[in-house]
Amino acid sequence: MIQRTRSPLAVIGKTIQMILLLAYALFALFPLLWMVIMSIKPDSQMLTTTFIFTPTLENYGTVLHSDYTRFFFNNLIVSVAAVLVSLVVGVPAAYALARFQFKLKEDIAFTILSFRFAPEILVILPLYLIYQRLGLYDTYLGLIWVYQLITLPLLIWILRGFFEDISPDIEAAAQLDGYSWWRVFLQVLLPLVKPGLVAAGLLCFIFAWNAFTFPLLLANNVQTSTVIALRYLASDTVHYGQVAAAAAISALPEVILALLIQKHLVRGLSFGAVKG
Amino acid sequence: MASLQLTGLTKFYGKRRGVENVSLDIPDQEFLTVFGPAGAGKTTTLNLIAGIVTPNQGSVRIGTRVVDSLEPADRNVAMVFESYALYPQLTVYQNMVFPLKSPKHRLPAQEAERRVHHFAGMLKIDHLLNRPIQALSNGQRQRTALGRALVRQPDLFLMDEPLSHLDAKLRHSMRAELKEMRDQLGTTTIYVTHDYLEAMSLGDRVAVINHGQILQLGAPDEVYFRPATVEVAQLFGDPEINIVEAKIQRKHREAIRLQMLGEDWSASVPEDIGRMLDALSSDTIQVGFRPADVEIAADGKTGFHGVVYSFEPLGTKSVLTIDSVGGQRVRALVDGHRTFQVDRRVNFSVSTRALIFFDRDNARYLARSSQTEEEYSHG
Repeated sequence: MIQRTRSPLAVIGKTIQMILLLAYALFALFPLLWMVIMSIKPDSQMLTTTFIFTPTLENYGTVLHSDYTRFFFNNLIVSVAAVLVSLVVGVPAAYALARFQFKLKEDIAFTILSFRFAPEILVILPLYLIYQRLGLYDTYLGLIWVYQLITLPLLIWILRGFFEDISPDIEAAAQLDGYSWWRVFLQVLLPLVKPGLVAAGLLCFIFAWNAFTFPLLLANNVQTSTVIALRYLASDTVHYGQVAAAAAISALPEVILALLIQKHLVRGLSFGAVKG
Repeated sequence: MASLQLTGLTKFYGKRRGVENVSLDIPDQEFLTVFGPAGAGKTTTLNLIAGIVTPNQGSVRIGTRVVDSLEPADRNVAMVFESYALYPQLTVYQNMVFPLKSPKHRLPAQEAERRVHHFAGMLKIDHLLNRPIQALSNGQRQRTALGRALVRQPDLFLMDEPLSHLDAKLRHSMRAELKEMRDQLGTTTIYVTHDYLEAMSLGDRVAVINHGQILQLGAPDEVYFRPATVEVAQLFGDPEINIVEAKIQRKHREAIRLQMLGEDWSASVPEDIGRMLDALSSDTIQVGFRPADVEIAADGKTGFHGVVYSFEPLGTKSVLTIDSVGGQRVRALVDGHRTFQVDRRVNFSVSTRALIFFDRDNARYLARSSQTEEEYSHG
């Protein structure tokens, strides 16, 4: 038997590495932890900085019994629909930009990306006026549509890299094997870009879910939970506990989704970037 | 099974020529090898037949069907890609059975499984069937790609360098397997290769292609012994054929005297060839002779003279490069047990039966000094 003995130096190195990683994890997770702590603090103890307080679920009770849930589901509807629309439009677009040679190809790709350059606040005024005129103001459709500015460029640019990594020969081979183009796309290409699809889909969902400027100014009744969390900041009192509870609830879908697909996510984020 | 006819196929990629005016007529069950150096247009030709690339001009007919407007899936051809083009998310078995599950070529599950196992055994990958593609070596991937094509019963096999990534030993055994399979299956096959030995040993006929054009089409012997141009002669054989310029000194019926390699040499050629050379407008021709036809003389006097430039022992044979008196380099294949010092003076003769004459200006084949291949090889 060969016994593997580690040198003391290696052990020390490993320990230091662990301590540093732990410190970074604490640093990154602390705001989240603080939010959760705040959400279970009563208002009277809100501003203490010690960790000693009487825990309460009162904040959650208040938030959940208000119409916050309605806005929560609004956000869910709009975000999920926005991602779905982006998938339906973006996957073929990414494929086309990766595979076909056509005039102005790079310009079109860059234009799509450039939607992400301008701050939303820059275009919100004309958009507001146009939405009012078209009757898109304060509708699901209007929000889903404007969210494409956020989700579509992201999805197209991530997936384009994945499609470029697939050799055109594979498509040709599958066609020669007796499959129509559609079946090749669904049975051969989509499974190959699945990690990218998952990663891009999740990122899009997070960005859509967290969108603030667009729903703030383009919605009222179909407002999303991101914006609604504001109302706990009244001019006279600030219910920090309720803001924190609302934020904690709001973070749940993202956390759950990320946990469910984390296996694909890590691979997806690292895979597309590295060319073989 | 079907015949194949290509008529005037032309494909340009922008300004770059893929192939130009390629016409081929391949009867049913023929095994045609397409041979040429890298970038010659071999793969483009296959892609045009398969329908992966659309030609600028020309037409493809498989059997009685003109397939120009058909999708690749509808042409009923099976292709082996040089890049393998395997499905990376599937195992070896799933890759091989993939065509047999398609809407067009579906077979009953049992029959499909039997075929996959049969060909996996033949290709010696039956122990790998459950491996994912990523876990395979290049040679194993190439055999999987070959297997995926072989399990089908198409009108036409298209094979793009299917043995190029195998090690030498495996390549030899696979070549033998393919030869046997060729006789068993009898499916019309277009086999692309840049290995002249593969082209000659497998092909019923060989199409030599370069710069997007077919230089010669013929039986392996024909291409080797009567190359249509200097270029074809140079592509076949290793070490490369010697091509030297020769001046026809004295024209005569039976014997002609050639001045080449800086020396006078009387070579006797058959009467009709002598007459043909007489009739040429130019008195300069190009003469080709294979390294194996160069004999190093022992006496140090007769024949051509030169100095050993390099000597490469290759086991049973050695390659000797000689700087001739006239300045040209001559390659010779000599017995492995003889050794030569560099810079040593040698003299050598060239077999008069093995000369191939080319036109000086257009490099086209004129004649060869022996009438038949038999005469050459037994004489």
